[in-house]
Amino acid sequence: MWCRSRYVLEGLAREFSRVTVSPVKNFSQTACKNTVVVERWWQVPLSKEGRPPRLHPRRHRVYKLVEDTKHLPKEKMELILTQTVPKFGGRGDTVIVKKSVGRNKLLAEGLAVYPSPENKQMFLDEKKQLQEGKLEGRTQTRTGELTVKFLKGCRLEVGMRNNVRYELTKEIVCRHFLRRLGVFVSPHALTLPEEPITRWGEYWCEVTVNGLDTVRVPMSVVNYEKPRTKRRKKWQKGEEPTPQGAELMPQGEEPAPQGEESTPQGAELMPQGEEPAPQGRSQRRRERS
Amino acid sequence: MPLHKYPPRIWEMLKMKQGIYARLPQHYLRSLQETRPPTAVHWKPLGVKYRLNPETKVRERVQDVPIPIYYPPESQRGLWGGEGWVSGFKYANNDKLSNRLKKCWKPQLFVRELYSEILDQKFKITVTARTLDVIDAAYGFDFYILKTPKEDLNSKLGMDLKRAMLLRLARRNTELHPDDPARREMIYNKYKEFEIPEEEAEWVGLSLEEAVEKQRLLEHKEPTPNFITCVDKLLNELAVQKLSEPQVVEK
Repeated sequence: MWCRSRYVLEGLAREFSRVTVSPVKNFSQTACKNTVVVERWWQVPLSKEGRPPRLHPRRHRVYKLVEDTKHLPKEKMELILTQTVPKFGGRGDTVIVKKSVGRNKLLAEGLAVYPSPENKQMFLDEKKQLQEGKLEGRTQTRTGELTVKFLKGCRLEVGMRNNVRYELTKEIVCRHFLRRLGVFVSPHALTLPEEPITRWGEYWCEVTVNGLDTVRVPMSVVNYEKPRTKRRKKWQKGEEPTPQGAELMPQGEEPAPQGEESTPQGAELMPQGEEPAPQGRSQRRRERS
Repeated sequence: MPLHKYPPRIWEMLKMKQGIYARLPQHYLRSLQETRPPTAVHWKPLGVKYRLNPETKVRERVQDVPIPIYYPPESQRGLWGGEGWVSGFKYANNDKLSNRLKKCWKPQLFVRELYSEILDQKFKITVTARTLDVIDAAYGFDFYILKTPKEDLNSKLGMDLKRAMLLRLARRNTELHPDDPARREMIYNKYKEFEIPEEEAEWVGLSLEEAVEKQRLLEHKEPTPNFITCVDKLLNELAVQKLSEPQVVEK
């Protein structure tokens, strides 16, 4: 029935003068995936224009397998997360995952959406609003949560000289956060106790992450020792390890600063809303000496 | 040998011009005659009319010859994304001088649960990997069904889903998420571009037999029993008789 009616319809096609074209663009011109692609062994002779080509009954049904896309390397897919998923990212993050994971987990459980232009625009607007701080009832970002978790298990040690009078300022504590823990804390996110700290002892400081969560970090102010002194003391106490570092660095008053060349661990954990405060070289030298 | 008035090969065509076929809605007939070649799935089209011969570097005319593909009846009950059986021959050891062997390449089929936002329902559908990829490329199952033309969808199930979705969109006030107005508004805005009038949506994807049956039911009228017509006639006559009589007014 269908075969015959198809001829009928082709005949009818000539009858109707009006031809409508659907307004929606056809998208299925994309490359074929996971499909067998074949070609003919024998070339089909060229037909006249507007005429169907003449196929040989036997030869032109002999095919050669060009490719079976099933055996090609598997591609990945791109998705936008709608909520925080452990090990993947937070809301609004674009992730590139394996297709099986994307389809069976993220999309099936509603954790992610397709990166269509509308969705992309929606999440972009949301991010912009969040950065301007307009959005009420905002929640901690995933990296913020990680930062809080890291800071909860931390303890800060601030070394100060014994031969100068000092008062612990926010900048000094921030500097030590970066040097010791690898966490960048800008001064406005830090809170110190009311009374000024001028002596060694046990204190605390509070860090506010993204202006939402506050973590109290125990802080001990101790005597500053040069690394060389520290090494020597350790050597004298233990007696067995030879101070190799001292031989390698005869001049070395201090080891190469680690916090600057290698990216600190806290750089990725750094809250979004905070920009690094400019710190001069002289400032650093003053702290060390 | 008897000669017919019309050659037998155009009889089917003539059939469409008379009887109930001619009374089918215009938009349905137009959708039937709008056929275009489906997207090349199992072969690589050249896509150009002329090209340089790779050996002689001379410009020559070339022609795309599609490979005939068999769509088994099961493909109408699933979404194969335009795939089908490529049945033919191959040469043993890929050697043209060797034996010719029968070969049928068939797609690998999976059963997947696909969720439709418009219909708010999950469907267990036989699909191929290509279908899943095309769904991803279209950003969703509903978009895939609504965007893809009939030739590429190539499935009765797909066209039935399309009709159901279009009907939901057309009757959005009553059927599209009746319990949740906010979600209804969101879904409607998302798929607004595909909306067509309800009268047209009812006919989308119907086969010719179904369309004829639908038209027959639309035109069908219950025959009125004879006694009702007789009673009506009698009552009319009595009323006329009553009116024609002079009315006696008593003082």
